[in-house]
Amino acid sequence: MTDFSWIVAGPQATRILADLGADVVKVENESYLDSMRIGLRQDPQNPSLNRSGFHSNLSRNKRGITANLFHPKGREAVERLLAESDVVIENYSAGAFARMGFSWERLQEINPSLIYVSVSGFGHVGRDASYTTWGPSAQAISGATAMSGLADQPPAGWGFSYLDHSAGYYAAIAALMALHHRARTGEAQHVDMSQIECGMVVSAVPMLDYQVNGRSYERVGNRSRYPATAPHNTYPCAGDDRWIAIAVDDEAQWTALCEVLGLDKLLEDSRFADMPSRKTSEDALDALIGGVTCEREPFDLMIELQERGVPAGVCQRTDDKQERDPQLAERGFYPTAPHEELGEHRYEGLPMQFSGARWRMDRGAPLLGEHNHAVLTELLGYSDEEFASMLAELAI
Amino acid sequence: MTLSNSDTATELPGPLEGLRVLEIGDLGEVAGKLLADAGADVIRVEPPGGGRSRHVGPFVDDDPGQPSLLHASRNTSKRAVTLDVTQPAGVELWKRLVAMVDVVIDATTPTLLDGLGGGWEWVQTQPALADCVWCSITPFGRTGPRRDWAANDLVQLALGGPMMSNGYDDHGLPPIRPEGEHSIAVSNEYAVSGMLAALWMRSEGHPGQLVDVSIHEAVSATTEGAFPNWEYFGRLVQRQTGRHAAADPTAAWQYLAADGQYVCLINGGLPRGNSAWDGLLDWMDEHEATDDLRDDQYQGLLFRDPRSNPEGRRHVADTIGDFVQSLPAEEVYRRSQSLHFAWGIVRRPEENLDDPHWEDRGFFWEGELPGVDGTVRYPGAPYRFTRSPVRLRRRPPLVGEHNHEVFVGELGLTSAELRGLLESGVV
Repeated sequence: MTDFSWIVAGPQATRILADLGADVVKVENESYLDSMRIGLRQDPQNPSLNRSGFHSNLSRNKRGITANLFHPKGREAVERLLAESDVVIENYSAGAFARMGFSWERLQEINPSLIYVSVSGFGHVGRDASYTTWGPSAQAISGATAMSGLADQPPAGWGFSYLDHSAGYYAAIAALMALHHRARTGEAQHVDMSQIECGMVVSAVPMLDYQVNGRSYERVGNRSRYPATAPHNTYPCAGDDRWIAIAVDDEAQWTALCEVLGLDKLLEDSRFADMPSRKTSEDALDALIGGVTCEREPFDLMIELQERGVPAGVCQRTDDKQERDPQLAERGFYPTAPHEELGEHRYEGLPMQFSGARWRMDRGAPLLGEHNHAVLTELLGYSDEEFASMLAELAI
Repeated sequence: MTLSNSDTATELPGPLEGLRVLEIGDLGEVAGKLLADAGADVIRVEPPGGGRSRHVGPFVDDDPGQPSLLHASRNTSKRAVTLDVTQPAGVELWKRLVAMVDVVIDATTPTLLDGLGGGWEWVQTQPALADCVWCSITPFGRTGPRRDWAANDLVQLALGGPMMSNGYDDHGLPPIRPEGEHSIAVSNEYAVSGMLAALWMRSEGHPGQLVDVSIHEAVSATTEGAFPNWEYFGRLVQRQTGRHAAADPTAAWQYLAADGQYVCLINGGLPRGNSAWDGLLDWMDEHEATDDLRDDQYQGLLFRDPRSNPEGRRHVADTIGDFVQSLPAEEVYRRSQSLHFAWGIVRRPEENLDDPHWEDRGFFWEGELPGVDGTVRYPGAPYRFTRSPVRLRRRPPLVGEHNHEVFVGELGLTSAELRGLLESGVV
């Protein structure tokens, strides 16, 4: 795969494909560098472009080359790579890849069986295609931000670029579906993706509710509107900024919750006699529960509730997940891999296991231009002499 | 390149034409939908009376006797049969259905179908099913000490980490779970990639296999900067109102515009280059809101290095923030975009129904919804395939709508046999 992706959304897509075993060749140059290389650099005093753990987590298992598109030989190398590829993915602003010389028409001339997946904010088609997004603005426009937060507070939004990740997840799907279609028919195609649409698909229920029932969306915090269950919320626990999520779905869980919390008296309280009455008295119920959870150690409480079958989970911090989550540990979710400049580090895994294959975690992200020689000589057929002259001429 | 709306309005086959899929359980409906809209023949198997999503609101006319909109949103393009797999006759029929398909989406529990003799363990004993791809989608995966723990979407977003990044500057307020069952969304998106990868291997001559997807892991993989901050710096990110969680506090990004709607200013509104900066100042001039921002100290390096002149950056961000609060949100959004700022407007989901850009793209799919007169517009797919359209192929099925078609027409039961199964509650 030829990978012209940068920041998060595109690299997230090619990360999945590389984890699954695809030979992803990331193409960069100082004029179109993946700017994640300068995000969260390990040592701010060291200006190396190879020392961002953020970048390494997103571009692990990929190979990397540099190519100067302003040099005819650099452009030719990219075109040879495209000719050898099954898929090219980019996530520049709509139209930018064509301005770099790679319109869909040109891509088809270079390689008629090449699949092209573009990821942009609004997509390449439509009256606002020239608009641009980052994750948070895409989330805002899509409705995903409005759907996050307490009813009496501003939108909380998302504390990260969620739609960069789900756009990447969908772009990986798009590439695999297009490969499936090509295997069946021989046809390649352009798949035009919009990041905002990735948020709109998870806003489907309120959009249908508005059309069918005329209801405008209102935030509910961490409560459950559909189904109308209670208690269903986050509750403070002992410690600094510690919270537990508890979601009761039936009467057995309600009984177990009250017993674990020492709130047996609530089982006799008519305000909480059944699910509809608990829902009606939810403010009082949440206050009573929060009044006792705040004395409890969150993980002990979670385990005690789970042993009684009550859905409960601590709002885990990253250190909880990486250092103390026995399920993630047992499933090998944080494998380690080497990187020449960053050293041995853990990486987020792929959230699945295969019985007849393994996803890989071989190495961190490529150093800038790390695989120039291997890709150009072994994959693209350049001689060592040609390679040396391309280096000397700054074509790569 | 030009594409017209009509390109996706054709009857062309989808990218997964010819793929046959069986789906069971309540946590895999989105994966089944993604395959079905792409042209796969997906049969959803529900218990008699229907699966969970049919019983969760909102309902048409807010009447629980009418179809559920949650179900409708996740089951377009599928067929639906009913089957009680916990009965011996039910599991026998289930096994015959498994033999018809390429892929099984098993979103029940890690052990239910194996316990009934119709799960992945059984498939492995059947040479005729060597090609079967079995995708299990469960809360914690099929192995591990917590595989049988109870969870729902709230619990998953708590355990997986997103909530500790989402919320408000005031940490007296709780971490926030965005609505929309995102734990189902992200796990099902990963599951589709896993299934398609397993099918790819099969096409290369490998046998089918188990794909064991963990929702907890899918959510845990979706927290972005929280991971490298801990892994490389030993720092925890802190949630902030309407913007990225960060190890150190950052300036506001979200403002209430003059008409009561919020806007989102990427990077606190700071431009990424001088041409955008000039355009912004001209726009602010029109409203006499520029203050002292034309002063030389706010040019150049201000935008290149976040560490330079932090007080100046804060002043610029505050001034821009004051400015956007004096304008209607739509004007902030449209004008800033025309100046190449990637700013957004905080829309309610339904507001996108009126934005003609999505019509240009054919994003909404017009179709029937049982119980509703006329048609509704379904949110479609986030990808436009130019040669093999992903589209609405069927309206969401009624409970057991395809029982006769599948059990009699395709499995070869007689109508009398099907009647008997219906009477005994197997179907």
